[in-house]
Amino acid sequence: MTVLDIANLHKSWGNVDVLKDLSLTVSSGEFISLLGPSGCGKTTILRIIAGLIEPDAGVVRLGGADITWKAPYYRDIGYVFQSYALFPHLSVEDNVAFGLRRRGLKGNELLLRVAHALDRVRLGHLRGRFPRELSGGQQQRVALARATVIEPKLLLLDEPLSNLDAVLRAEMGIEIKRLQRELGITTVFVTHDQVEALTMSDRICLLNHGAITQLATPEEIYTKPASTFVATFIGRSNILRAKVTAASSGRVEAVFGDQLKPILGAGVAATGEAVSFSLRQQAISLEPWSERITSNKLAGAITFATFAGSVRQYVVQLEAGPEILVEAPKSAATTYVAGDRVIASWAADDLILVQEDEVFQ
Amino acid sequence: MSRRSLNPGWLLSTPALVLLSVFFLIPLAILLPTSLRPFNSSSGIQSGWTLANYVAILSDSFYAEIMLRTIVLGVLVSAICLVLGWPIASVIARSQSRYKFILVLVVIFPLLIDVVVRSFGWIVLLSDKGIVNELLIGLGITSGPVQLIFNFVGLLIGMVHLMLPFMILILSSAIRAIPSDLEHASATLGSRPAATFLYVTIPLAMPGIVAGSILVFVLTISSMVTPRLLGGPTYRVMASTIYDEFLQLLNWPMGAALSSLLTAIVLVLVVLSGKLTQKWSPR
Repeated sequence: MTVLDIANLHKSWGNVDVLKDLSLTVSSGEFISLLGPSGCGKTTILRIIAGLIEPDAGVVRLGGADITWKAPYYRDIGYVFQSYALFPHLSVEDNVAFGLRRRGLKGNELLLRVAHALDRVRLGHLRGRFPRELSGGQQQRVALARATVIEPKLLLLDEPLSNLDAVLRAEMGIEIKRLQRELGITTVFVTHDQVEALTMSDRICLLNHGAITQLATPEEIYTKPASTFVATFIGRSNILRAKVTAASSGRVEAVFGDQLKPILGAGVAATGEAVSFSLRQQAISLEPWSERITSNKLAGAITFATFAGSVRQYVVQLEAGPEILVEAPKSAATTYVAGDRVIASWAADDLILVQEDEVFQ
Repeated sequence: MSRRSLNPGWLLSTPALVLLSVFFLIPLAILLPTSLRPFNSSSGIQSGWTLANYVAILSDSFYAEIMLRTIVLGVLVSAICLVLGWPIASVIARSQSRYKFILVLVVIFPLLIDVVVRSFGWIVLLSDKGIVNELLIGLGITSGPVQLIFNFVGLLIGMVHLMLPFMILILSSAIRAIPSDLEHASATLGSRPAATFLYVTIPLAMPGIVAGSILVFVLTISSMVTPRLLGGPTYRVMASTIYDEFLQLLNWPMGAALSSLLTAIVLVLVVLSGKLTQKWSPR
C-alpha cells in the first residue's frame, strides 16, 4: 500500500532548479533513503513533505490525501532534524511530551506514552535532564523518541547521523533501523553517506542535481549502477572508457586506449560505440607480471601503494592507458610496492556497462 | 605582583574602569552623604545627619505621587514597547528580504535625532492646535481638542517613541538567536503558530524580553528631557523633580535623596534582571 506519493515536484530558488519534475512513491513500512551529494535537493524534498517549504509545482499525497498545501501542524509527520532541534528550555521528558500535549493528552496516559517512548530508546533514566546535558547520541535518541511518540503516518530523518562520530554513527544507524522495524513506520531517510544508505534502506533513491538518477534496492544499485555517477557515488568504482568491438546478448567486447586485445564486459551496446564501464575496486585481482598474458587480463604497473587496515590500496597504471584504483584484501597472497609490474584481471560480470552522465562530467 | 595577575583583559579595560569610577562612583559617594544632611530653605544645608529627606519622600503625598507616577510610566512604556516592538523585531530577525535593511534603518533613524528636537516635534503634533487634534476634530471623532500633552498620555506617547528602537534592537537579536529549526520542530509536532509562539518562541526569547524591558524601564524612569518638555513644568516625574530640587529650590539634600532612591531602584532592577535572565536562559 502506498503511504507517500510525490508527483512531479518542482522547486527553484531564484533561477536555480533545486528539484526537477521529481516523482516518488513509498509503500507502507518501507525505509527509503534519499541519497546524493550536498545540493542535490534531498533535504528540500523532505521539507516539502513536512510542509516547511512549499513546492512550485507538484503534488504530495499522504495516505491517499492531498497534503501539498496543508499546514505542517496538521500533517501528522514525525521529523528528526539534522540539528536535532531539541527544545533547550524543556527537559528530556517535556521534549518528548511536547507533541502529545499539543494533541490534548494529559495525566497518566501522557506519562505512560512518554515513559514508553523513552524506554524504547533506552533513555528512561535521563528523563529529567536538559538537552545540553546530553551527549550527541543521547540527543539524537531524544529527537527520535519525540518524533515517534506521536505515532506519525510517516517518519522523516534529515541526516540524523551526520553529527556523530564514526563509532556512534554505526551504533545509532542500527538503533534507528531497529526502532523503525519495531514500529513498522514508513520512513524517508536523507543522507549523503552511501554506507548508511546501503545498510539501512529497503530502497535507495539516488539523486543528483534535483532529479532521480536511480531508484532501486541497495543490492541492485550496487551491482547494477545505472550511470557513471551512481557507480562512483555508491561503492568505489573505476570508470573506464572504451570502444565496443563486438557485442552479443548481454556481453560486449571492448578495447581501452591502445589495448589491442579486447576485454569482455557485461551490458548491451552496438559495435563501434564509445562506452563507459564501471569496475569496482574490490572486483579487481592482481597477480605478478609474466610474459604470458591470457585473455581478459591487462598489464600495468603499481604507481602507489597504501595500507588501510583491512585492505591494501593500489594505484595501477595500465599499459593500455587508463589508471585504475584497486582494493585488495589484507590477506591477499602477494603484496606489491610502487614500481612492481602486475597483471590486473576481473570477471566479465564485474565490468559493467554504464550510462555516461553529462552533468557529472 | 606575579605575571599571571597581569590579565590583558583587565589591563585593556582599565581606561573604562577609571572613567566609570571617576564619573559614577565618586559622584555617588558625594551624593549619599549629601542626602543625609538637614536642609533649611532660609539658611541652606545644615551640618549633622538626618533621615528626614527619605522620610519626606516616602510619606509626603507630593513626592509619593511623583514616585508612583514615574514607576507606572516606566512599567507602561516597557509593556507598550514590548507589544509594539515584537512584530517589527521578529520581521527584522526572520526576514530573508534584501530590503530588510530599510526597516532596520527606519528603526534606528530616530536615534540619530536629538531628544530635544524629537520632544519639540511631539509638542507640535500633540498640542491643542496640533496636527493630531486637528485631525481628530476634522474627522468628527471628537468635538473639541483632546488633551494629549502636559499629562500622562503625552509622556507615554513621547517616551514610547523614544524607547521603541532600543526594545526592537534587543528583541530582534534575541529572536535571531532562536534557531528556526526549533519553530519548525514545534510545527511538525502539531503546534499551531500560537502554540509555537507561546511554548517555544516566548520562553526562548525570555532573556531578550527581560533585558529589553529592564533597559527601557530604567531609561524611562531616569529620563529627564522628554518628561520636562512633554509634561510641562507642573506635571513632574522623578528626574525632573530632582532637577528642580537641585537647580530651582537649591535643596541639594532632597535632590540627593531622590537621586539615591532612583539609583537604588535601578540597581535592584539590574541585579534582579541578571538573576532572571540566568534562570530563564536555555541551559
